[in-house]
Amino acid sequence: MTTPPPGTPTIVQFTPLPSQTHPSFWHKLTELKLDVLKLSDAEVEIGGRYGVGRVFRDREAAGEKWVGVGGSLGVDEGSFGGQTTTTTTTSVPVGTAVARGIVKNFNTIEEFKAADKSKIFNQVADKIWSSIHTTKSTTLLNTFLVITYADLKKYKYFYWFAFPAFVSKPAWYIDGALGWVGAAAAAAAATTTGGGGGGGPGYSHDQLKSILDQLHKSAHSGSKPLPYFLVRSSGTTTVDVVPVEEYDPSKDRYTDTLDSTGTGTGTGTAIGFIDPSAGEQNPGWPLRNLLAYIRALYPGDSTKRLKVVCWRDSYVPRGEDGWKSRVGVITLGDGDGTGVGDGKRPDAVGWEKNVQGKLSPRVADLAPMMDPTRLANQAV
Amino acid sequence: MHAIQQQYWSIRDYLSPVLRESKFKEHGRITPEEFVAAGDFLAYKFPVWTWEKGDVSKARDFLPTDKQYLITRGVPCLRRATSLAYTDADEDAERLLSFDDATDSGGDEWVETHAGRKSNMPSASNPGEIADIPDVDGGADELSTGVGGMSLKQEEIPALDDIPDMEEDDLEEGDEATAAPKTAVTSSNVIDPSQIEVATGNLLQVRTYDVMITYDKYYQTPRIWLIGYDENRIPLTPAQIFQDISAEHASKTVTIEPFPHQASLQAASVHPCKHASVMKKVIERMNNSVVAEQLAHQKASPKEKEKKKWFGKKSGNKDEKPSAPGDDDEVEGMRVDFYLVVFLKFIASIVPTIEVDSTTAF
Repeated sequence: MTTPPPGTPTIVQFTPLPSQTHPSFWHKLTELKLDVLKLSDAEVEIGGRYGVGRVFRDREAAGEKWVGVGGSLGVDEGSFGGQTTTTTTTSVPVGTAVARGIVKNFNTIEEFKAADKSKIFNQVADKIWSSIHTTKSTTLLNTFLVITYADLKKYKYFYWFAFPAFVSKPAWYIDGALGWVGAAAAAAAATTTGGGGGGGPGYSHDQLKSILDQLHKSAHSGSKPLPYFLVRSSGTTTVDVVPVEEYDPSKDRYTDTLDSTGTGTGTGTAIGFIDPSAGEQNPGWPLRNLLAYIRALYPGDSTKRLKVVCWRDSYVPRGEDGWKSRVGVITLGDGDGTGVGDGKRPDAVGWEKNVQGKLSPRVADLAPMMDPTRLANQAV
Repeated sequence: MHAIQQQYWSIRDYLSPVLRESKFKEHGRITPEEFVAAGDFLAYKFPVWTWEKGDVSKARDFLPTDKQYLITRGVPCLRRATSLAYTDADEDAERLLSFDDATDSGGDEWVETHAGRKSNMPSASNPGEIADIPDVDGGADELSTGVGGMSLKQEEIPALDDIPDMEEDDLEEGDEATAAPKTAVTSSNVIDPSQIEVATGNLLQVRTYDVMITYDKYYQTPRIWLIGYDENRIPLTPAQIFQDISAEHASKTVTIEPFPHQASLQAASVHPCKHASVMKKVIERMNNSVVAEQLAHQKASPKEKEKKKWFGKKSGNKDEKPSAPGDDDEVEGMRVDFYLVVFLKFIASIVPTIEVDSTTAF
């Protein structure tokens, strides 16, 4: 990616959400296959979760080096709970979102290879799309899909994840010069450059802390944690975090006078999401369906310019580490955008690429961790 | 042989009584209640740690059902321990924690390697020699199987050859709004893990670890468990995990064992047989300084009740629990809540490149 000339709009590129399969996921799948599913290849509902992307200071390297570790969609044995959102934890930590998924296990490698992947994928995408229109709920927005084949004798598991995301046509753009900025840094810049009453796209330390507190509360008060949320300004030190379902185009419209240096004022509500990306200029994959959701339910000019909070903090930063969350103001390209008017489902993408970057399944070889004879040798 | 040993361990564990009396300053051992208290403190101070209940059928009855063990996920591991430049100068910095008290049988020592190690690999430019890990079932072969998880031996599963044929480029058209993997970060000082590798030629890969702390009933200490993933989030093989454990301990105190709170999970674990004595030593040392500080503090402001500082700089902002009756006028020293924080510092010397010790960050 080359740095665009100042002021040029850049297409917003989303970091794909990677999958992470905990070894216990395969143990549980093995059990399920042997005891419950047997020869059935019906779809089974599972749960998973992803955390915020994080950056770490590299203490070994000279100077200021940070290493980004993106969040990933993790599945483990708790994924197979009776309820789809159950995990083994008593409470979901802040900065973690739960996702529902479907696992489809095939009996033979031939069936696995011959499966009509487009059909399975489209079924999931259809389900997400219809949930937007029928229930107006965001709970299915981050639905994922995984197809598997388990070679139980060899402790090898073939699998392929998919994270269906709707393609926005035209695409979303972000101002090339301003780009995505640190949530706290942007506020500081806005006040120093005369943003006028703390305008600018960012938030103050107190406001960010308020967001964190409210996310924490939503995760622990018995209600579900919010993978997607709205950030409504309600004062200089506080903000209101509410579910996206409460979006009201008349009240929440975002307007601003930002120029390419980030100077200017902006008012209105921001849309936020738990962001598993660690890339500075790339929001994470879950934002795609959130944008599709907003555009599908609230078409028109009011949602053509949106302020987005990529939430990447799980605790109040201490010391020199600042807030990791990022904000950006994005604009829809010319045209009405997807799914508007005809209500037809936009195209969806999201098959996970393998290690070599190809659209191909992956394999987990658990023999070193599971094969009793090899383990015995290891322990001599 | 190993299986018999494991059976023996589980029986021994079953028969050993639950520790009831607090022994943490005398022996470095803690009771389950103290483990929970220390765990609560750890999870409160460092929210990356959370309690898990694990497999319900495996729950230990001396611990609360929802507080069976602690876990932190995705702990980064930037380098291999084997690739750390370990020079003579470092050897001088080694701290020998010796335990030659009368109570001990003598000669019990723990080498704390990499103590106070400064960065001696500027931008990690000297590619450390990756030592071959002693590996019983055919060394290089084993390692190559693990790398990438894809280079599988042909004779084992012929069908595997077909997997690459499954590549389906027509499944999805190119999508302009998908960030290409490994691009993205340019201008700033945030580096993508993949870029370190390319930039320096060193074998730098960002692995991540799930780290669990359980309570070991027999040794009456916490016990650490590791599950590693490579930079592509594929579980690491035991041989690969051993690369992240300091050579002093790799094939001696760290083994692959069944994780006690899940049905059939195997994880790398640091054997806890020496934990108590090491912890005792460390706690003693820390306790002395804490006591000294508290005494000084008391002298400075004799009327003041607020004497429960953790370590001076870390003044506790935790809600103070009612302290044991009668110790109001005595110096309390280090509190057991801090046990796990200290424990993690000790573990950090065994796994120097896995950043388990989040407490150093501030």
